[in-house]
Amino acid sequence: MVQPEFRCVEFVEMATDWMELALDDHDRVSLEEHVAICPHCSEYVEQLRLTIGVLREVRHEAPPPAARAALLEAFRQSR
Amino acid sequence: MESDGVGTVDLGEDAALVVALRMGDEKAFAELLDCHYDTMLRVARMYVATVEAAEDVVQETFLGVIRGIDRFEERSSIKTWMFRILVNRAKTRGEREGRTRPFSSLQPELEAGRPSVDPGRFIADGRWAGFWGTPPSTEHLPEARLLAAEVGGRIVAAIDELPPSQRAVITLRDVHGLSATDVCDLLDLSEANQRVLLHRARSKARATLERYLDEGVEAGS
Repeated sequence: MVQPEFRCVEFVEMATDWMELALDDHDRVSLEEHVAICPHCSEYVEQLRLTIGVLREVRHEAPPPAARAALLEAFRQSR
Repeated sequence: MESDGVGTVDLGEDAALVVALRMGDEKAFAELLDCHYDTMLRVARMYVATVEAAEDVVQETFLGVIRGIDRFEERSSIKTWMFRILVNRAKTRGEREGRTRPFSSLQPELEAGRPSVDPGRFIADGRWAGFWGTPPSTEHLPEARLLAAEVGGRIVAAIDELPPSQRAVITLRDVHGLSATDVCDLLDLSEANQRVLLHRARSKARATLERYLDEGVEAGS
């Protein structure tokens, strides 16, 4: 088997640049060749995507009640 | 409060929100407040010394939003506009406190040369050096929405442990869905540095997720 240009240890460092479309064509193609044949790096990317998905769904902490009440009152007064 | 919709407002929804606020829709304002207060507090902490000062800055920001909404011109998203108000106020407050620019000490946060994954997980030598020795588990991954309830809190706790600019970048990008360009502009970062900070932060957040997934595998076996 021919070794891919990038090894896994390099892949994980370049994953964000790849996902942010910040690689030049040569590196992008090499990285995509790697992930196509490497189930582990493919899984790694899936976990990164899932992490981003979880962050998008995360519950927000409510503001302190006094601050919240004061701002709602200010909004009411302003309209 | 769910971040539903607000994380991915399209321009149509944004316009509807602006109209609702202008008409005095309290529910719309309460939702805006509940979905952004915690993030604004995190971002403000990059510029001011104490939680109390950060809370003041966030309070002033929302008062600015209330006063400014009638003049908001929709050249940017409402979210970007609000964060712009926040950063301006936080900077002013920070300068009054005599603090220097937060990113004057950015270099250590870029963590040059620091591995994103524990090097012990890659094969150390031989023909396959640098390839996975202990790869991520290939268990079926649950849906983000389901997982958010279970592990969301832990990932947020991990994010709170990050250096301030890593924390601000991942929160604005991944929790609130701001574009890279908007984040660079808001935080005065170069595109390259923004990506490095995002990479560091996402790598650590992923490691937290993986630990959680591995516990599930162990508990299930």
